[in-house]
Amino acid sequence: MIEAITQFFKQYPLLWTFVKAVVLASFTLVIPLAVIYVERKIAGFIQSRLGPLHVGPQGAFQTAADALKLLLKEDIVPEGADKRFFYLAPYIAFISTVLCFMVLPFAPGWVALEMNVAVLFIIGVSLFNVVSILMAGWSSNNKYSLLGGLRAVAQLLSYEIPMVLSVLAVVFYTGSLSLTGIIEYQVKHGWNIWHPPIMIAALIYFICALAEINRTPFDLPEAESELVSGFNTEYSGMRFAFFFASEFANNFFITAFAAALFFGGWDGPVLPPIVWTFLKVFVMIFVFMWVRWTPPRLRIDQILRFAWQLLVPISLANLLFAIALGVR
Amino acid sequence: MRDTEYNPLVYFIDGLVTLFNGMVVTWRNLWRPKVTVRYPYQRRPVPPRYRGLFYLKWNEEKQRLNCVGCTLCAQACPTDVISMVKLGKGTHAGVSEFTMDLGRCMFCNLCVEACPFDAIYMGPNYELASERRDASLFRIADLAQGGEEAVRKNIETIERLLAEEEKAKPAHAVHAAGGESE
Amino acid sequence: MVINVGPQHPSTHGVLRLILTLDGEQIVACEPVIGYLHRGLEKMMERRPYRHNIPFTDRLDYLAALSNNLGICQCIERLGGVEVPERAQYIRVLLMELQRIASHLVFLGTFGTDLGATTMFLYAFREREMVLDLLEECTGARLTYNWVRVGGVPDDLPEGFGQKVLDFAKLFRQRIEEYDMLLTRNRIFRSRTQGVGVLPKETALAYGCSGPVARASGIPYDIRKVAPYEVYDRVEFDVPVFEDGDVWARYLVRMEELRQSLRIIEQVLRDMPDGPVQTKLPKIFKPPAGIAYSRVESPRGELSFMMVSDGSPNPVRVHIRAPSFVNLSVLPRLLEGAKVADLVAILGSIDVVLGEIDR
Repeated sequence: MIEAITQFFKQYPLLWTFVKAVVLASFTLVIPLAVIYVERKIAGFIQSRLGPLHVGPQGAFQTAADALKLLLKEDIVPEGADKRFFYLAPYIAFISTVLCFMVLPFAPGWVALEMNVAVLFIIGVSLFNVVSILMAGWSSNNKYSLLGGLRAVAQLLSYEIPMVLSVLAVVFYTGSLSLTGIIEYQVKHGWNIWHPPIMIAALIYFICALAEINRTPFDLPEAESELVSGFNTEYSGMRFAFFFASEFANNFFITAFAAALFFGGWDGPVLPPIVWTFLKVFVMIFVFMWVRWTPPRLRIDQILRFAWQLLVPISLANLLFAIALGVR
Repeated sequence: MRDTEYNPLVYFIDGLVTLFNGMVVTWRNLWRPKVTVRYPYQRRPVPPRYRGLFYLKWNEEKQRLNCVGCTLCAQACPTDVISMVKLGKGTHAGVSEFTMDLGRCMFCNLCVEACPFDAIYMGPNYELASERRDASLFRIADLAQGGEEAVRKNIETIERLLAEEEKAKPAHAVHAAGGESE
Repeated sequence: MVINVGPQHPSTHGVLRLILTLDGEQIVACEPVIGYLHRGLEKMMERRPYRHNIPFTDRLDYLAALSNNLGICQCIERLGGVEVPERAQYIRVLLMELQRIASHLVFLGTFGTDLGATTMFLYAFREREMVLDLLEECTGARLTYNWVRVGGVPDDLPEGFGQKVLDFAKLFRQRIEEYDMLLTRNRIFRSRTQGVGVLPKETALAYGCSGPVARASGIPYDIRKVAPYEVYDRVEFDVPVFEDGDVWARYLVRMEELRQSLRIIEQVLRDMPDGPVQTKLPKIFKPPAGIAYSRVESPRGELSFMMVSDGSPNPVRVHIRAPSFVNLSVLPRLLEGAKVADLVAILGSIDVVLGEIDR
């Protein structure tokens, strides 16, 4: 049955891509529900609380209920807002996340768009996120949003560089720009994380990933206690839901990307590959959450100083190290 | 633990180590018993001294409320919460109406301390919020221990005692008392 | 750019409004606007008999209601020359120190949240809940205790209260270690607080700062030591003083005070004598004409009450010196040249309670 459907769609490649895109877009909308639920539960447990409990067994449908509520809420546009940008920003954020998922292999062959420059594509597309945050911050006609947007741009751009450099270390080490290629290399040669230059790259990637998805200690663009809610202060209803969804989908993606780069993607014994992918992703998401609920946040100058004075030089040196070891 | 001069690498390593320390604490707490009380389904036990909505004590032995309507509590109240109507006079006096305005009550316990007859106590009831403004007015039936029934019995007992007292008294004294009350 | 922080803002700790002039992320000027919570408490007190005023003081510094109760009761006692039984004095000190712990825990929690460590908030409030449970068991209320009376305290400690407090003290010592590990030693936390919002000793003196704010600036001024009241002269404790005057020092002072409070509590429970807890007073309390002034060390600083009597049942004039009000006045000076992110750290470290500022 499934075979037949697949065969049918394979005759029309454009339609097939479209179907895959729709599936992934819905996946991007659904996965945040799970991630947010897990986040709330973990945050609750860490903080001696119980987290959501009422909607569904152990509160499992709480986020779905919240999402439904957000969809039903009035769509408020603040007075004096730059309407075009205000409307556009959440969708750009969301689309950039969906596009990232397009090239992500979940299991052998389970990839929407096999691309031989997937890594470059991801780096390029994920930067749209910055644009959307700046648009949201600028167009809201709110000073808090503007401050949040400006902070976000400064922070995300600064951390993009060491992140890209550490990803490049993996690329040079494995000699492939395709995610499938990188994973297959790891299936043959063991996980990248066990190799010294990549270990450092993974650490830097981890820190930058925290910054990229705006988590404590790098949650300045949203800094609740300072900027109320940062760039999305003025958003409500569905648009806010899209920002929220894309943030948590991004969280999922950035760990999936890390799994592919450092932890062998779907590689693992006994269990089927797709399970291994999700297992690795959720373990990493747990670590991210664990970190999120521990330290206070840094200040903007400290964050930038940290990125430029330390992470960039280290990741550059590490890149050279990886190239030296990786060239065969 | 004051900082030394800024050194990115030292700070970075220190940051990682201390972050890890913090994560040990949060990890430990992850497994501790949770302190949440699921309020509408569970309730904390209320300690005996808890100062919630006050009540008028029912005296089972005498079949009446302890309150004699002396208004000492009303006088002790900083915000004039209490008002009452006295029933009868002398040794058997009581109250027929006792009103408290929750909207002004600070739950300060001063009325309880002022009462020399052990008539008024602060109870364990703390769920007093209401959507209606007039629900903040508590009348004697809401306050008396035993509710409506107790108020009825209280008035009955006091009126019976008063009648008995009147009967026992010589006729002229009754007249004098009646004259005074008018 | 002019930006309005408050009266509704996640980290102004009440209805405080700050008008900030910004240059990018840099604060150029700050103007606090207060009065959103003004209830005219001093005037209300002048219209009521002395002892009716005690519950109103609960609404001043609502995080340390017992300190306020004690302040006004001491003032009335001085006015009327009322003696307080020894046991009542010990009970008062015990409750004050429990109150100080509860209040500092609120500071610790909100300060953590201000800096982004949300988990600290819930840990601090979890332990505060234990203190509140203890106080609830003793006083019958969780926030507005109203448990100090002119001439003593209304009732003795409940059965087994001392043991419960000691158990809590034992547990709480471990928890303070945990806070240190989670927050105090954290690199990010130290970077955010050290050298931020420095209050020089001279400025602190000039503005009349008191409490932890003054002690962090190197002024060894604690009413419990310089003008001991109740039985504070009979217990041993240290007053933490730091020289740096920054946010970090103010934080450390409060953390150390938590430990010192535990020390005081243990001594008080050990030394507490038996006896009555309240002096009998006439139904209508009329102190002789005169003027009385009392000061106590509330968790926020020097809390003073002044009352003028003309021999009638009501005071003629009541004045309250609220420590938060005085400490807040130094905020514009601290914020000059700070970053927006420092605003919450500095404001949090002053630890103001708006109920007390606006009165």
